[in-house]
Amino acid sequence: MSLARKQIMGNISVALAHREKADEHSIDQEAVKLLTSFEPELPGLSIADVVEAFYTRTSGPKVGASITRISSMEELIDTVAGVLSEKGLVNKIALQPDRALVDLDWGQSGFQLGKEVDDGVVVGIARWGIAETGSLVFHSASDMPVLFNFLPSFHIVAVRASTIVPYLESYANAANIAGDPTPRNVCLVTGASGTTDIEGVLVTGAHGPRELHIILIDDTNQIVGTYDEN
Amino acid sequence: MTAIESTFKKRAQAAVANKTLKAAIERTASTAEKKRAIAIAELPDFSNMRSCAKRIKDHVIANLDHYLETFERNAVASGAKVHWARTAEEASHIAVDICKMAKAKRVTRSKSMLGEEIGLPHALELAGIECVETDLAEHIVQLAGERPSHIVWPAMHKSREEIFSLFKSKHEKPPVSEEIADLVLSARRDLRQKFLTADVGISGANFLIADTGAVCVVTNEGNAELTTTPPKVHIVTAGIEKLVPSIEHAFVLLRLLVRSATGADITQYTTFHCGPKRPNDADGPEEFHIILVDNGRTQMLADGMEEMLRCIRCGACMNHCVVYRQVGGHAYGGTYPGPMGAVLTPVFDGLKQSRDLPHACTLNGRCAEVCPVGIPLPTLLRQLRSRSWRSGYEPWLTKANVSVWAQFAKRPKLYHAVSKIASKVIRLFQKNGRIRWMPLAGNWTRHRDLPAPASRSFMQLQRSRHKENGS
Repeated sequence: MSLARKQIMGNISVALAHREKADEHSIDQEAVKLLTSFEPELPGLSIADVVEAFYTRTSGPKVGASITRISSMEELIDTVAGVLSEKGLVNKIALQPDRALVDLDWGQSGFQLGKEVDDGVVVGIARWGIAETGSLVFHSASDMPVLFNFLPSFHIVAVRASTIVPYLESYANAANIAGDPTPRNVCLVTGASGTTDIEGVLVTGAHGPRELHIILIDDTNQIVGTYDEN
Repeated sequence: MTAIESTFKKRAQAAVANKTLKAAIERTASTAEKKRAIAIAELPDFSNMRSCAKRIKDHVIANLDHYLETFERNAVASGAKVHWARTAEEASHIAVDICKMAKAKRVTRSKSMLGEEIGLPHALELAGIECVETDLAEHIVQLAGERPSHIVWPAMHKSREEIFSLFKSKHEKPPVSEEIADLVLSARRDLRQKFLTADVGISGANFLIADTGAVCVVTNEGNAELTTTPPKVHIVTAGIEKLVPSIEHAFVLLRLLVRSATGADITQYTTFHCGPKRPNDADGPEEFHIILVDNGRTQMLADGMEEMLRCIRCGACMNHCVVYRQVGGHAYGGTYPGPMGAVLTPVFDGLKQSRDLPHACTLNGRCAEVCPVGIPLPTLLRQLRSRSWRSGYEPWLTKANVSVWAQFAKRPKLYHAVSKIASKVIRLFQKNGRIRWMPLAGNWTRHRDLPAPASRSFMQLQRSRHKENGS
């Protein structure tokens, strides 16, 4: 134990000497109680249906992303092609190495798959979506490089409706229930990179992506781990 | 002591006289004030949410030793190395040593007020290590050789024209116009290569999550992840008060932090880092160091200032402070400006050196009203004023004035008699209820008129009212 640690802990126990020191279990219980018995009223979702709420939120002014809804993964390639052609971009992309994306036949639709992520177009897939804030959640792994969220100029992200949860806390709860191992890096992405550092004016593409396009896959009728709040 | 006091006064005077500075502060702070008000009004129950946030922070502070131990245990289990620093110097020293061990030539840093507090940029410079600030505003401030003037918008004192000429002389490929988008693009170009070639990335922490050992960092630009992911080493510098029990507790505070700071509901990027790169990870740092910094925090706990340890560094107190909005951040002379700075700077630099900061306050209470964790800032400032008085730090003139005033205040009859005469004398200088000039009031009347005292005092009115009611 370092001397610094010993002194800091010593100072704390002297400063807190007046309190009755609780055991670990009761401290933990009190911490849980802080979240449940005083639960603050959460911000309202615009619509009761979480998927609709997520859609409204992400396409609204607060998140400022563009969004397309499709009914199955099979439509993804054509949708990406459509989004790129609308922007006048060529079909040159880097794919997040997730099986759900890699296993699709991009080559047949004339896509050129590259490794160039820096200032290019990245197509990725989010692990979860959060309706309250319109956030996409990524868990770092072998198939999810952290930098894929930050280096591209244009970020296209697919997210399954079955993985959309209402609140920030529901995400933590859902990831726990789904048995997601605690990843090294959890990133909540809400819109494109932006800054108001010069004269308070919002400019996108500060360091990360200039634009974010979300492709919402309506898979809730299929049995793929539908999220249930209870 | 007098020299430092006059320095503060001089800084404040120079700031008040600077019209462009005032316009710049007003532009950003008033926008922040409006956006915050809208964001808070949209919440179903701000006061309940605030009381929940306050309870969480109080719970952590009351059990700080438990949470530090829990956090350390879980962080170490995730593969992080945890260091402890008692002072600013010790913290900088540890960070510089880690950089030296990694044979670092270039270090990137994402904005962290704690990093500024411990003097890390300066320590790196002394060690001959290039330190690149990556937050756009910090980048501007670094290129200009200045200090941050706000904790959320460190470059709020600079206009686009100033930034344009700065970038033109400092960027390899300078911006083509004064358009803000061009300026942002120029910085993006300049910094991208530096992100990818840095040896060490240094960040702060918005929250330390005790039950997982993770570190939460929020940004809108995405510079934190670009700072901490490519290099081999990630160093986190964090104050020991940043702990929360779990990610759910962090979310409660995050909702308030972002709304209070910028009026948004959430930052664009909210990232939780837990340990170094794992065997199958596609990217990430090989070493992950967390430096837990005391630097006066345990002293605050012992001195009855533990409420200040709730602070989540949102900056709402300064955006709503009438003094900050007149003098700006640099006048405060410390790392943290505004009301929270007026409480913290005396802790870091000593009350003797910074006694004028707790006095630079009208006690109008707006800071406490908007504080998302309910810190009674005016009470803490009054506490510091009285401590300064008791320690004999007040200048002799103030002491003499107060003693004279006390002689009157203790004798109500004398007090009323003298104030009656004084008010009559002062009224001699009035014209249409305003005083444009009066002896001894030059500091006031040089900038604005002084309202004349009413012809009858409150006490006189009360007395005559009593008589009327009695008869």
